[in-house]
Amino acid sequence: MKLVELVLLVTLILSIALLLTFAYMYLTPTSEIRNLAVFYLVTTYNPQLPFYTVNSPEAVTAIVWDYRGLDTLFETAVFYLALIAALALARKLYVEATPEFNKGNEGLSVIVKTVTKITSPMIIAVGASIGLHGHLTPGGGFQGGATIAVAPMIIIIVFSVLYLLTKRVTTEKMLLLRSLGLIGIGLTTISAFIIGLTAGRTTYVFQNMPKFDAPLGLPDKLNGVLISGTLWFFNLFEMLAVASGFTMAFIVLMLVKKEG
Amino acid sequence: MSRALNAFIVACLTFIVYIVFTGSVSIYDLMTGFIVAVVTGVLFSNIALSNALKVIDPRRWYILVRYAIRYFIIDETLAHVDVIKRILHPRVPVNPAIVKVPYYAETDYAKTCIACSITNTPGTVVVEIDENERVFYIHWIDAKTLEPEKAREFISKVFEEYSKKIFD
Repeated sequence: MKLVELVLLVTLILSIALLLTFAYMYLTPTSEIRNLAVFYLVTTYNPQLPFYTVNSPEAVTAIVWDYRGLDTLFETAVFYLALIAALALARKLYVEATPEFNKGNEGLSVIVKTVTKITSPMIIAVGASIGLHGHLTPGGGFQGGATIAVAPMIIIIVFSVLYLLTKRVTTEKMLLLRSLGLIGIGLTTISAFIIGLTAGRTTYVFQNMPKFDAPLGLPDKLNGVLISGTLWFFNLFEMLAVASGFTMAFIVLMLVKKEG
Repeated sequence: MSRALNAFIVACLTFIVYIVFTGSVSIYDLMTGFIVAVVTGVLFSNIALSNALKVIDPRRWYILVRYAIRYFIIDETLAHVDVIKRILHPRVPVNPAIVKVPYYAETDYAKTCIACSITNTPGTVVVEIDENERVFYIHWIDAKTLEPEKAREFISKVFEEYSKKIFD
């Protein structure tokens, strides 16, 4: 028995060592940068290339919401369709707005509750910072919104979903906020187009910075503060929509099933 | 009025966290941080605090700083040294037990402060709180006594004295 264990252990260690050796040989990043990456790195924040740049130092957000913005728009649409489907499946299965059930002694101990009371606003601050700096540092609307949604989720688990409802965080309000976020995203996609329409110049749907044949675009700076045109608005509205969408889903999932 | 003060204090906390997490103090950060702080402060004004006047009492802050220095330098070090000795000792002299320890603090924040102080020192962990009986159930690596009042002398007496002055 001991021998078998020893052999097994040695085999395991040797196979992991072999795997690591080969992984090291094949997966080491090279020092060369591919042409595609060079293009994005050179153009993402480059005032000397006015018709190519996005004026955002964060290349990932620039790619996600500008270079391939249409793709992201449809990804957002897929996410919300999934959410709508989940809510549609759960309709009439839950009861809401029943604060009289809330006796105040549900959930975890008073220690966890008190700590949650202080940390929830801090979580929201961190999430908002991630979302609102999406065009400057890694992060963005989805990440920020998902971080913010952690606060209601913790409150639901630590207190109870009825506590959230007594604080008047209802699915109707979350639906309103989410719809506002989605309308904002929709308006942002056509903002440059509307500017061009009113000025009588050529502009495109989903345009951000000025282009060769469409010299009108969104400003990269507002009052000297870098907002990278549409990127800031996309991140803001996406954060709003994701945070409220997730909160709504958490409430519906944790609500008591209606009897009968 | 008290709600506005509550909101202001939560907003201050949120603003500080926002700026620290962002790691920069440009006009953009200050402006967005201000807006986020105001919104969060209003949202959490009735949740996070019940009596904001205690937060702006400088005497409580003075005791809090004194407690923090005492706790992290003296109490933490003693507890660490004790547990390190037990780990490194060849016979591992532990005598674990879960003991009942009463508390006399009134507010939720004071109870939380005592419980976290106990848990954060190595060797003792609060595993449950019973608010009806007003006791903690504490797992103790070296249970010197099983008497609730005597255990309180060993474990939480000092923490409770300070916590009551800070939060009650």
